[in-house]
Amino acid sequence: MTAAAWVCLFSPLAAVVLIILGGTRLPRRVTGYIATASVAVAFVAAIVDFIAILGRSDSDQSQISTAWTWLSAGSFNVGLSVLVDPLSVLMMLIVTGVGMLIVGYSIGYMDGDDEERRYFAYMALFVFSMLLLVQGGNLLMLLVGWGLVGLSSYLLIGYNHERPQAVAAAKKAFIMNAFGDATMALAFFLLIQRTGSLSFQSSFQWAGGETGTWAVNLVALGLLGGAVAKSAQLPLQTWLPDAMEGPTPVSALIHAATMVTAGVYLLVRTAPIFEAAIHVQQLAAGLGAATLLMAGLIALVQTDIKRVIAYSTMSQIGYMFLGAGLGAYANAMFLLMAHAFFKALLFLSAGIIIHALAGEQDMRRMGGLKRYLPKTYWAFVIGALALAGIPPLAGFFAKDSILAAALAAGTYGQILFVVGVLGTFLTGLYAFRMVFLVFGGEPSPFVQEHLHRPDRSEPWIWMAAAVAVLSVLSVVGGWIQIPGAWSLLSDFLAPTVESVVEASGAQEFWASVLAVALGIAGIAVAWAAFSARTLGVPEWRPARTVLEHKFYFDELYDVIFYRSAVVLTATLRDGIERPLVLGSLGEIAAVVRRASSELREVQTGLVRTYALAIAGSVTILAFVFVWVK
Amino acid sequence: MGPNLTWYIAVSAFLFAIGALGVMLRRSPLIVLLSIEIMLNGANLALITFARNHADMSGQIFALTVMAVAASEVVVGLGLIVAVHRRRLDLDVDKLSTLRG
Repeated sequence: MTAAAWVCLFSPLAAVVLIILGGTRLPRRVTGYIATASVAVAFVAAIVDFIAILGRSDSDQSQISTAWTWLSAGSFNVGLSVLVDPLSVLMMLIVTGVGMLIVGYSIGYMDGDDEERRYFAYMALFVFSMLLLVQGGNLLMLLVGWGLVGLSSYLLIGYNHERPQAVAAAKKAFIMNAFGDATMALAFFLLIQRTGSLSFQSSFQWAGGETGTWAVNLVALGLLGGAVAKSAQLPLQTWLPDAMEGPTPVSALIHAATMVTAGVYLLVRTAPIFEAAIHVQQLAAGLGAATLLMAGLIALVQTDIKRVIAYSTMSQIGYMFLGAGLGAYANAMFLLMAHAFFKALLFLSAGIIIHALAGEQDMRRMGGLKRYLPKTYWAFVIGALALAGIPPLAGFFAKDSILAAALAAGTYGQILFVVGVLGTFLTGLYAFRMVFLVFGGEPSPFVQEHLHRPDRSEPWIWMAAAVAVLSVLSVVGGWIQIPGAWSLLSDFLAPTVESVVEASGAQEFWASVLAVALGIAGIAVAWAAFSARTLGVPEWRPARTVLEHKFYFDELYDVIFYRSAVVLTATLRDGIERPLVLGSLGEIAAVVRRASSELREVQTGLVRTYALAIAGSVTILAFVFVWVK
Repeated sequence: MGPNLTWYIAVSAFLFAIGALGVMLRRSPLIVLLSIEIMLNGANLALITFARNHADMSGQIFALTVMAVAASEVVVGLGLIVAVHRRRLDLDVDKLSTLRG
C-alpha cells in the first residue's frame, strides 16, 4: 500500500527531472506526453491505494511509511514520510485524476507554444507539490508541500513572463501565500515547543488535552492563516483573480486539483486541533460564509470570463470552509471533489472558447457562440448547472449537504445557512449571466470576424477528451452520496475524520428545496436580464462601482501596507538616513582628512630624517628600559 | 687579560655613534653606505666582546652572520648607487625625496 503511495508521489517529480535534463533533445510535444503519463501513473498508483484501503478493516486504514530521517535536532526528529489513509487517498485521487485530465488537455491547448517544455515541467512539479502536501506524513512534510505549491503556482502564473501583468500577478500570489506560510510556520514552532514533535498523532493528542487554551487557539489560528492564504479566502483573497494571468489550464489546475483546495484539506486534516479551538473553527466558517457572499457579488460585474470563474471558485471554497468550519468534514470534502470536476470543466471549456476567439476573454465581445461551438456549449452549461447546484448534477448533492449540515449546527450555523442560501442565488445569477453573455443571442461582429473553428487534429482531441470526461464526472460525481439513500464518501472518510454535525432528513429536504429554488431564481433573473445580451454588466451605479473595485480590498491593502511603508521609509530617510547616517559619514571623513593632512607632514621623503627618527626613538626606548629597570 | 670590558664597549659605542652621525649628516649615498658599515662593525665589536666575556660562542656566530648580511647589503646599496648615477641624477640623498607626504 505504501509502495504505491511512493510511486504516486515521485512519478510526477521523475517527469520534472526528465523534462529538465532532456532539454531540447526532447521534442516539445513529447514533454506533454511525459507529463501526462507521469500523472496518469500517479493516478493508477492512487487507485491501487484506494483498492487496498477498501480491503482493510477500519482500524488498519492509516499507514505511515518513512523513507529516512530527514531532519534531526536533539530529540526532535522528522522523517521523510508519506501518510496513506482514506483522506489522503481521496485527495490523491482528485489531484492526480483531475490533474491528469488538465495536463492532457494542455497538450492541445499549448500546442505550438514556444516554451512547452518549461510549461509541462512546471505542471508536473505542481502536481508533485500538491501530492507531497496531501501525502505528507507529518506537519513538516505538509509545510514543504505547501511551500512548493506556492512556488509552482508562482512559476505558472508568471508563465507568460514577457507580460508585466503576469509577473505582477505571480508576485502577488506568492507574497500573499508567503503570509500564510509564515503563520503556519509560527504555529508549528509553537507545536514543537509544546510537544517536541510535528507528527499528526502527537499534535492531535496534545490538542485533545488542551481544549480552549491560548496555545491551541494560537496554533489553530496560525493554521487558519495558512488555509485562507492558500484557498483565497478573506482576508487574503486578492491574489486569486489576478492569478488568471496564467494560461487557462493552469487556472484549471490551481482551482480544481491543486492549490486552493489545500486550505480545505488542511482544515479537515487538522480537524482535532480546530475542534480544540472551537472559536477559531467558527471563525473559519464565518470567513468562508463572508467570502462566498463577497465573491458571488463581485462575480456579477466581472467582464472577463476567466475572472467570473475565478470568483466562483472563491465562492465555492467559501462553502467548503463553511462546512469544514462547522464540523461537516465529509461534506466539505464532498464539495471539494465535486467542485474539482465542474470547475475543471468550466475552465477547460472556457479555454476552448478563448482558443477559438484568438485569446479574447472579454464576455462583452462574445455572444452567439452556441451556433459555432455546440458541444462546448453543452459542456459549459453542464458545468454552470453543477456550479449553481441544480439537481441531479454534482454540485447539488455536495453543496446542499453542506447547507443542511449548517442548518443542523445551532444558531451560528443557521445564520451561516442564510448566507449560504443567498449565495446559491448569486451563484445561479453569475453563472448563467456568463452562459448567456458567451453563448446567447446573435453572433457579435467580433465573433464573426475572429472565430476560427477548431480543427480536428490530434492536439484538439486531447482537449475534447478531457472536457468530455469532466462533463460526465460533473453529472455523475454527486451520486456517490445521496441523502437518505447512501453515503459512500462519509463512510469512506469515517476512519480518519468523523463529521460532528449530522443533518436530519427534514433539514436535508428544506436545505435542498431552498437552495435549488434560489438557484433557479438566480438563473431566471440571469435569463431575464442578460439573455438578450443588451446588458453586459448589471446597472446600479453605486453598487457597481464598489463591486468593480472588489470591495476595495486591493486599495485597502495598498493604503495599509504599501503606502504606510512608503511613508515610513520616507520619514526614516529624511529624519534618520540623511541627517544622521549620511551627515555623520561626512563628518567622520572630514575629521580623518584633517588629521591625516597634518600627519603627512611627518613624511618628509628625506632618508636622514627617517634615520634620525629611528635613532631617536631607539635612544628613548633604551632610556625607558634602563630607567624602568 | 688586556683592557677590561668597559673599553671594548666604549670603542663599540664610539664606532656606532660615528656611523649613526654619518648616516644622519652626510648627503652622499656612498658615505651613508660607509657609515652604515661602521655602525654594523660597532655592533659586531659589542657582540664579540660579550661573547668572549660570557664564554659563549653564539655572539661570535651572530657577528659572522651580520658580516654576511652587511656584504650583501653593500652589493645592493652599491647597485642602487650605480643605477642612480646612470640615470644622471645627483648623488645626493636629500634630492631623492619622491616619497614626501
